[in-house]
Amino acid sequence: MAEAATRGGHPPWRTRGEQAGRLSRRLLIPVLGIVLVVAVLVPVIARGGPRVPQPVAFNHRKHTQDLGLACDFCHRYVRTGAHSGLPDASTCSLCHSSPQGTSAEAARVTELLAAGDSLHFNKLFRMPDHVFYTHRRHVAIADLACATCHGDIDQTERPPPRALVTIDMAFCVSCHKAEGATLDCNACHR
Amino acid sequence: MTRWGMVIDLARCTGCAACEVACKSENNIPTVSPDQAEMGRATSWMRVMAEPKGAFPDTTLEFYPRPCMHCDNPPCIKVCPVRATYIDPEGIVGQIYPRCIGCRYCANACPYTVKYFNWYGPEWPESERQYRNPDVSVRAKGVIEKCTFCHHRLQKAREDARAQGRQLREEDYQPACAEICPTDAIVFGDLDNPTHRVAELKEDPRVMRLMEDLGTQPKVYYLRQRT
Ligand code: SF4
Ligand code: SF4
Repeated sequence: MAEAATRGGHPPWRTRGEQAGRLSRRLLIPVLGIVLVVAVLVPVIARGGPRVPQPVAFNHRKHTQDLGLACDFCHRYVRTGAHSGLPDASTCSLCHSSPQGTSAEAARVTELLAAGDSLHFNKLFRMPDHVFYTHRRHVAIADLACATCHGDIDQTERPPPRALVTIDMAFCVSCHKAEGATLDCNACHR
Repeated sequence: MTRWGMVIDLARCTGCAACEVACKSENNIPTVSPDQAEMGRATSWMRVMAEPKGAFPDTTLEFYPRPCMHCDNPPCIKVCPVRATYIDPEGIVGQIYPRCIGCRYCANACPYTVKYFNWYGPEWPESERQYRNPDVSVRAKGVIEKCTFCHHRLQKAREDARAQGRQLREEDYQPACAEICPTDAIVFGDLDNPTHRVAELKEDPRVMRLMEDLGTQPKVYYLRQRT
């Protein structure tokens, strides 16, 4: 009898205070759950997706500023292809097959290369598949600087967890307007 | 001014449907199950329609390859509440998938019934998945799609021409159906450019357009069978 009453949820002999206490205890877990989900999701959505992991802590500043390497030394197809291309072990090993510099990370790169690691870097940007975009069109033909869309990526000392600039259609359109480039839907949608 | 259009010579068309297959593979058009096809849910941007002609026993079939007509006065775009379908400055009637709310007004407004609704998300057998064309998006459930004159080929061709510092040539931009047609029945080009084959072919005495009396001004011309 007592067991059945408990399962039934609201036995009539409980006082209002008891009922309220029971209710709040019941709500506690779902509410905590929602708070937790919101706490995780909001920063992720606001900053544009989850952290993008990278195989090594690549230092853009070191390579582009101190050593003066051009962007297309590693991003090889930036003037000719749709995708700019990411470097892989073969690019890194041009220099790092023997120890370079003094940093621990550079030493680790040499170790990884010796171990035959492919050094698979991950893209920060994902183009939706309904967008026709090529780097050639923007870098080689329109002569835009990389920083126009990529921000100060060349000044970073560690891989940023996410893209430094959020690119959406409004971003594209504002530049197309300012530069007098096409605004026709079919020019970029497919 | 460039006006992209097509001339289809019915005397040359053998009804082989190579254009239909080329279109499906070029544009990532998923196949549907037989029972869905039975319900009219098969998608075919290009369709070879067969029309019986003559009285028995002297009967024959006449084939009409039927893409979107890319009407100069398209009834479909007038009903779209969100401008997801529109006519671009070169006459291609575009379909902007992420903008489409799936109301299907346009599919009902099109007198040529060339617009298809995605009732389901696209599905491919595992073996076909790797053959999808990366230059064409995969449409989501709930949007309308139709023949685009393979305008993704124009995007690439135009960029190639600019990168090489030259004008766009007729052969740079050809839709998949025109490219594959073994009898050259489908000819594609700029209707307003006298050096393009379509400009001359559309003046042929055999020329006609489908449902011309509606005033849609299709940019797909047909050349009648010789009799
Ligand atoms: S189905 Fe899409 S393209 Fe057609 S009228 Fe509706 S919103 Fe426009
Ligand atoms: S054929 Fe139909 S879908 Fe194509 S432009 Fe004309 S009305 Fe629109």
